[in-house]
Amino acid sequence: MIEWIRFILTAGFLISGLLTLLTAVIGVYKFDYVLNRMHAAAMGDTLGLLFCLLGLTVSAPDIWTALKLLLIITFLWFASPVSSHLIARLEVTINPMWHQLPLTPDSLKEDDE
Amino acid sequence: MSKRRSDWQSRPQNRVRQWFHNGFLALDDEIINQVTKETLRMDSDSEMDKHQEMLDSHRHERTLALERLDQYNIQAWANTRGRKALSRIYVTISFVLAFVMIFFLLRTVATMPRFSDPNAPTNNEVMARYIEKGLEETGAVNIVAGMILDYRAFDTLGESTVLFIAASAVLILLRIDRRKDGTPVQELIAAESDDRHYEPRSDRILQGSAKVLVPIIFLFGIYIMLNGHLSPGGGFSGGSIVSAGLILYLDSFGFEKAGKFFTYKTFSWVSFLSLSFYAIAKTYSFYCGANGLPSGIPLGTPGAILSSGLILPLNIAVGLVVACTMYIFYALFRKGGL
Repeated sequence: MIEWIRFILTAGFLISGLLTLLTAVIGVYKFDYVLNRMHAAAMGDTLGLLFCLLGLTVSAPDIWTALKLLLIITFLWFASPVSSHLIARLEVTINPMWHQLPLTPDSLKEDDE
Repeated sequence: MSKRRSDWQSRPQNRVRQWFHNGFLALDDEIINQVTKETLRMDSDSEMDKHQEMLDSHRHERTLALERLDQYNIQAWANTRGRKALSRIYVTISFVLAFVMIFFLLRTVATMPRFSDPNAPTNNEVMARYIEKGLEETGAVNIVAGMILDYRAFDTLGESTVLFIAASAVLILLRIDRRKDGTPVQELIAAESDDRHYEPRSDRILQGSAKVLVPIIFLFGIYIMLNGHLSPGGGFSGGSIVSAGLILYLDSFGFEKAGKFFTYKTFSWVSFLSLSFYAIAKTYSFYCGANGLPSGIPLGTPGAILSSGLILPLNIAVGLVVACTMYIFYALFRKGGL
């Protein structure tokens, strides 16, 4: 019975994680602007990987492997959002569009080219 | 005039020009004719001098223009006929070299033992000895560490030296020096301002996460370095993890704070001491006969942290070299200096 619960939990987590990653990949290819694409990629990096690793944690053979996987989740949740934040900051620093606030729809359109 | 003309023609660059134009004389004949005619019409000496001056300046300009034309022609030749000829030579040489290489490699393959031959070097006693006697002779539970730092330690010394040489070459190429009186040069100021503009500077989020992560990364890297003879890992991987922690610290807190504990002096001393320690330790080990002969260094009980003789200190030395090299690579590529 417990085996079955573990299996179903693992499968559910893994499938939802993979679906999130798929959404992220589609978003990265679909969007044009840096920040939009970054949003999609960061979603895959955090939520998708969280679900995948949680699935693996549930199916881990012993408690130490599960704890290591939890540590990996913590590290990834540090690394990915912080690096996304830095990329966004760089974009805002070097793109002249962000220096002429407030934004208008026209200025956004020009920058897409 | 004719003497001048012959002088001009016999100049070496003119000979090159003639060869270049297939013997065609690029001398400005019409100008000479025109000038000669005008000279005949000259009345007074002053006008003659004036005319001579004009003629000289004209000739000078003409020469300059011709030289420019020559350069252009040489470039054109290099881009068309020369390139064709060179590429033909290049292709011929590469084909010949490739076929020679193929010939020798095929000959080597022909003399190799058959696949799954029990007497082949891949299956013979060397590998069996590493696996069977590795623990006994090197004292390392991790066979890979025993191999790369005991049986084949000379190779690892070469790898560490390659890293050091690469770091030195990058230093020579990319380091922007200050002037002798300590004032920065223009390039350094430009690099500083670029760095100030593009790189994260006193970013709260980055600093907060770095405060949590950097000590953990350091601990993990040091653990991998020290545990190289007991579990997968060792100097190279541990050193790169430590250098990743250093780079994260540099990114979040800037060059001023990182410069408090890591300068060029640190780099050169740490690299020098690690490499020379490695070389001396391995020299001693080879002097004593290497491979399992008693050298006075206790091997300890396998599995303990202080075991396997020289492998642990050698791992530390390699790790330090790797960490310093990667960190200085990053600093040089980012700003051209520490």
